[in-house]
Amino acid sequence: MTFLQAMLLAVLQGVSELFPISSLGHTVLLPALLGWKIDRSDPTFLAFVVALHFGTALALLVFYWRDWVRIVRGLCASVLRGRIGDDPDARLGWLLVIGTLPLALAGVFLEKPVRHFFGSPALVAGFLILNAVVMFAGERLRRAERGPNSKPAQAIATLSYPSGAQIGFSQAFALLPGISRSGSSIVAGLLFGLTHDDAARFSFLLATPAIAAASILELPKLLVPEAHAVLVEALAGGVLAGITAYASVAFLTRYFHSNDLRPFGWYCLIFGTLCLTLALMKVIV
Amino acid sequence: MKLLAVVIAIVCFVLAALYWTGTLQIGASEPGPHVKHAIVFIVLGLASLVWFRFQGARS
Repeated sequence: MTFLQAMLLAVLQGVSELFPISSLGHTVLLPALLGWKIDRSDPTFLAFVVALHFGTALALLVFYWRDWVRIVRGLCASVLRGRIGDDPDARLGWLLVIGTLPLALAGVFLEKPVRHFFGSPALVAGFLILNAVVMFAGERLRRAERGPNSKPAQAIATLSYPSGAQIGFSQAFALLPGISRSGSSIVAGLLFGLTHDDAARFSFLLATPAIAAASILELPKLLVPEAHAVLVEALAGGVLAGITAYASVAFLTRYFHSNDLRPFGWYCLIFGTLCLTLALMKVIV
Repeated sequence: MKLLAVVIAIVCFVLAALYWTGTLQIGASEPGPHVKHAIVFIVLGLASLVWFRFQGARS
C-alpha cells in the first residue's frame, strides 16, 4: 500500500462510515475497481484500519461532545438515584446502551464468519443494491405512514426501550459488507416514527460507542512490531479520516434537516449494479 | 424481576470469566482466550446489575 493509496482509503473511510453507503463495502469494491493489491489480513493493513476507525470515533466524539457530556452525566445520575425518571439525557443514554448491546454481541460472534463468507466483490455489490432497496423501501413506508391523519413525529427521548433495542439491532446487518450501518439504523429510526433529523442524530450517537469500542478493542494491532512499518500512514490516515468524518457528520446533520435517504439509495443502486456487472464479467475479482 | 436481573448478571460474569481464560470456545474463530467476548459479557453483566438497581427503586 503506497502513501497515496493509504490517504485515499482514509478519506473513503471518513466519508463512507457516516454516509449511508457502507464503508466496508466501499473498502472492498474501490480497491478491486482500481486494481489495488491489498492483503486485508496483513498485520500492517489491520493496524492502519484501526487508526482510521480511531480517527472516525474521535471525530464523532468531538462533534457531539456536548451531548455526550449530558448523556454520561444523565447515566451516572440515574444509576445513583436508582431510576431513570423524566431526565431526557438519562433516557437517551439508556436507549444508546440498549441499542449498542445487540451490535456488540453480533460483532464479537458473527463478524469474522460473516466477512469470511461474504467478502467477494460480487456479493458486496449485491448487498450494496440491497442497501439501496432498504433505503427506498424505508422512505416509501415512511411517506405512507405520514398521511394527513398520522401521528406527529416522535422525539428520540420518547422512544420506547424495545424500539431503541430494535434500532440498535438493525445496525448488526451492517456486518454484511455492502449494508450500511447508518443507513439501516436511520431507516429503522424512521419506521419507529423519528424525523430524518432525529433518526440521523440517533444513528450517529449509536455509531460513536460502536466505532470507539471496536477501535479500542483492536488497539493491540497498532502495537505489534509489524505496525511500525505503517506508523506514518496510520497517523496521517487517522487524522485525515477524522477530519473527513467530522466534515461528513456536519454535512449530514444539515442535510437531513430537509432531505431524505433517496439520493444515497440511487448512488448505491447505480454503483452496486456497475460493480456487480463488472464482477460477473470477471473484470473485478 | 430483581432475581432475574441478578441471575443474568451472574451468568454473564461466569461466561466472561470462561471466555477470558479460554475455557469457553463457543462462537470463537480460533482457540485461546477471547478478551473481546469476555468484555462484551462483562458489559452485559454490568447492564443487568443496573437493571437490578432500577428494579429496587421501583419496589
